[in-house]
Formats: sequence, C-alpha cells, structure tokens
Amino acid sequence: MSFGMTLYHFFIPHHTNNHRSKALHIDILLVYVLAFAIFNYGLGFVHRQIPDVLGYATDIHVQQLLDDTNAQRAAAGLSPLTLNSELSVAAANKAQDMFAKDYWAHNSPAGQTPWDFISGAGYRYVLAGENLAKNFSTSQAVVDAWMASPSHKANIVKPNYKDIGFAVVNGKINGEDTTLVVQMFGTSVDSLAEASTPSKPPVVIDQAVSTQQAPQVAQAIPTQAPAALASAQQSLGSEFLGVTRTPAINIPTLTRDIVFVFAGVLLGVLAIDAWVVSRRKIVRVAGHNIAHFLFLSAIVILAGMTARGSLL
Amino acid sequence: MKNAHIIHYIVLLLILAGGIGAFYYAAPNTDTQFIIGVVTSVAYVLWGFIHHAMNRDLHQKIVVEYVLIGAIAIVLLATVLKH
Repeated sequence: MSFGMTLYHFFIPHHTNNHRSKALHIDILLVYVLAFAIFNYGLGFVHRQIPDVLGYATDIHVQQLLDDTNAQRAAAGLSPLTLNSELSVAAANKAQDMFAKDYWAHNSPAGQTPWDFISGAGYRYVLAGENLAKNFSTSQAVVDAWMASPSHKANIVKPNYKDIGFAVVNGKINGEDTTLVVQMFGTSVDSLAEASTPSKPPVVIDQAVSTQQAPQVAQAIPTQAPAALASAQQSLGSEFLGVTRTPAINIPTLTRDIVFVFAGVLLGVLAIDAWVVSRRKIVRVAGHNIAHFLFLSAIVILAGMTARGSLL
Repeated sequence: MKNAHIIHYIVLLLILAGGIGAFYYAAPNTDTQFIIGVVTSVAYVLWGFIHHAMNRDLHQKIVVEYVLIGAIAIVLLATVLKH
C-alpha cells in the first residue's frame, strides 16, 4: 500500500477500513490511551533524571513578589507593606517544615499553626495572616492567582497589615518537585504601640485566611527604605529568596502543545468521517461523531483553561 | 424520534457546560479540576450508553468506543494537569 493510500485508509472512511476512518477504530483508540499513559509516565521519569533538560521554567523572587503585592495595595489605595526579617524567617521555617514533614496545609500534621512559626521567629503580632502558593511559574502569576481568590486577596488588601515576609524555596512534597511560596502578613505589638490608639486591645487572628476586623491604626506606614529591605533579605539564606530555572524543554509548554495538536487532529478526523459518511449515506455500527466532537471540544476548552499552580 | 435526539443533545450540552463551569470555578486547584474532568468524562460515557440504549442500537462495539473516548479525554487532562 502506498503512503498516500495509507493516509487515505487512516483518515477517510472507505471500503478498506470498513467505512470508518482507521484513526477512529477501537484498536487505534486504545493505542492513543496507552500512548498517552506511557508518555505521562515517561515524562515524569525523564524529568527526575535530567531536570535541567526537561523541567519547569520558574522565575519567582521575593523582590518581585513584594513589588507586585504592594502594587496591588497601591491600586486599592493602601499604603505599602514593609518587608520584615522576622516574618521572612517565619515564612522560611514554615516552608522548611512543609518539605521536612511532607504536607501542603496551613497547619502541620503535628498541629503547628502559622502563628507558631511567626511567634517562634520573634515577631510579636497582634494581627497576622498567611498565603501559600506552589508550582507557579512567575512572581506575577502567583500574585495574580492570589488576587483572583477572594480569601487570599483579603489578606493582600487588608488595611491593618503593616509588615510582610516571604520565602520562595524548592523541594519535594508528595515526591513531586515543588516550588513553594510562603507569604506572611503581620502587624506587630511594637507598631501598634507607636500608633495613636493605645487604648484598643490586641486582636489575635487564629485563622490562616481571615476576614476578622482589626482595630484601625491611624498612623501612616512609612515607605520602605532600601536598608530595611537588605536587612530583611540578610536574615534569610539565599535559597529562600527566589527560584530561577530555565530548562531546555519546559514541560507545561510541551504537554499543552502535544495535547492541542493531537486533539486538533482527532477533531478533524471526526469531522471528516462524519461528513463523508453522511454524504455517502453509509449505515454502520458506531458511536455518534457529533457527540464525540462536542465532548472532545469541551475537553480542549478545559485543557485551555488549565494553569500550573495551586493556592492554599 | 427527532425530538428525542434534540432533547438528548440538549442534555449532553448541559453536561458539558456544567463540567466547564465547575472546572473554571475550581481553578487554580488542579486536583479538583482533574476530578471534575473525570466526572464529566464518566457522565459523557453514561450519556452515550443511555442514548444508544434508547435508540436500541447499544452494541458492544459502541460501548467500548464510548469508554475509550472517555479514557482519551482523561489521559489528555492528566497530561496537562498532572505535570
């Protein structure tokens, strides 16, 4: 059989393929399923062997997160948050604990809360909050995802917070290569004492993402000085300040391209098969191409809506 | 029979629209999104069974075809969501 006839046999309903494109025969459909299953397993295996060649492009840094967070606050008419070394240490300790104990949650399996890490780092808070993110590709994507989530956005644009701390660190959770971003917010006892409302009692928030109202502090928050930023950064090791990775092949780009090309070809074959059979008025035992077409189109839409990264 | 077909396809479109809506709502929780994708695929396969059973042409070959189309959808979603 010539190459042209092989293509015809594969894509066009004809007597050689029992009037059903070979690409839609049950045995070939099974080959697709197995091929993708093997591809998915192989992709993970190769990534573990040579992550610098086949990996996840990542560019997340504390400075960018701070700038983007404060830009969102500025857009909401709020004063910027100051990068605080104690909150950053608390965030780094929290990230290390998540990797060491292999969990993805606000509270550790041993019952440690974010507030334990904040207090443990020496930050005496009257108000505190925590946002978590994992496996995003850029700082902007992290902040955009937080802003799209009402509970996380509430932390970012809470007027009462004065300080902020970050840790960005790479490790493994559940055996998966994970880039964690821990963002901790706070207002300290000291800053409250400096404010002009000493009669109000401290308020301690015991929920990671909370909407509880805190006393309004009238004093304006000073703009962050470069020295304070350097001090906050010096308190952390460089491994907590950011993650930059530029593998030769970016896995999310590769997988999306393969899925869209395959789905596009399959949708095309379904459409051609339906058109030819309808035109020739062929009666056959098979599923409805139009139903398959609608369903797989919906799956393509779902695939197009995916974005890497999770929040907590 | 033609009206029944129209109703069946309206039900299918509602299933798919519900799946897309739930998928969007679950973002950026990719684990939940994958579960929604699997549920939508299972719902589609069941829709195919019921549709062909009501048309009295639910052959074994058609059952396997719908199962495999659903399986293809799941592995495609796993490819973009699980990496």
